[in-house]
Amino acid sequence: MTTLDTGGPPAGDLVSPDEQPQRGDRVRTVVRGIGELLITAGLVVLLFVVYEVYVTDIVSAGKQREATSELDTEWNDAAPAAPEQQRVERFDGLGEGAGFAKMHIPAFGADYAFTIIEGTTDRSLEIGPGHYKGTAYPGEPGNFAVAGHRVGKGAPFNDVDLLNSCDAIIVETRYSWFVYRMLPKKDEVSGWATGKGTDPRCQGVAPLGGPYADLVGQQIVNPSQGEVIAPIPGHRDAPSVGERATLMTLTTCHPRFSDRQRLIVHAVMVKQWAKDPTKPGETPPELKETS
Amino acid sequence: MYGWIWRHLPGPVLVRALTAVVLVAGVIALLMFVVFPWVEPKLPFNQVTTQ
Repeated sequence: MTTLDTGGPPAGDLVSPDEQPQRGDRVRTVVRGIGELLITAGLVVLLFVVYEVYVTDIVSAGKQREATSELDTEWNDAAPAAPEQQRVERFDGLGEGAGFAKMHIPAFGADYAFTIIEGTTDRSLEIGPGHYKGTAYPGEPGNFAVAGHRVGKGAPFNDVDLLNSCDAIIVETRYSWFVYRMLPKKDEVSGWATGKGTDPRCQGVAPLGGPYADLVGQQIVNPSQGEVIAPIPGHRDAPSVGERATLMTLTTCHPRFSDRQRLIVHAVMVKQWAKDPTKPGETPPELKETS
Repeated sequence: MYGWIWRHLPGPVLVRALTAVVLVAGVIALLMFVVFPWVEPKLPFNQVTTQ
């Protein structure tokens, strides 16, 4: 930096040994030291940005790959003894950090797939989108709630703000595909039946009535509003299981690069496909809705 | 600061330059793998869950 001159002949050649360092020299040294420290601090902050936005992505991509291959191995394991009766999802006894389902959002591209991890600790969310413990599992009545990073760490929910009503969020489990679709946004609710609701993709999607009357597809809330992942989002009191709608909720930080608020997306299940054991690799038609 | 470090590195210029590069790489590695992962959860950037 400012010290290229010291790479030349030793200082002793220029300054005789008995010459006292001037007061001005000392001041210059101190000022230069402070300047160098400030530049260094700036570089460290820049490096932190690189870490947050890129390096964590690389680390998380590795962990996500590992979780996905573990899940694939589990799913490909020898079929249970009585296949027809046993093809029921089992989610009990999942440990923190274990992958149990995959989510696909075709609107984000055909290759958008993340393995969903049990639990929402920092360590779990580093692997992939994390399922809030205690909320419903895929396909169950209630609210299947998932948190995901929006910046760095794989950023699974990077573009969640771009989701539109009726966009499919497809959750793949061992034996089934569950198709959730985003609920109407606040400004679409009033004209839904004659407006966007007529889109064939929106079949099964409509503003929900009853206790769900005020539920919309996208909302921005404060971090303390944990009730958005309740069975009836926004309400602390839970209805009996029989009265619950089958919902999915995504949560991520908002605005991007900040944790001031949370961006919430609510979706409702419209369809369920059972995987055909004789046709592995078959995918539901909703997966092709890439535009 | 950097001048002081440079003057105290042993050997000819080429060796010094190499040592300096290794030192810088070490500091970056320390930041990336130890300091940043430790400090990151304490900063208000990336909390995605509701309470």
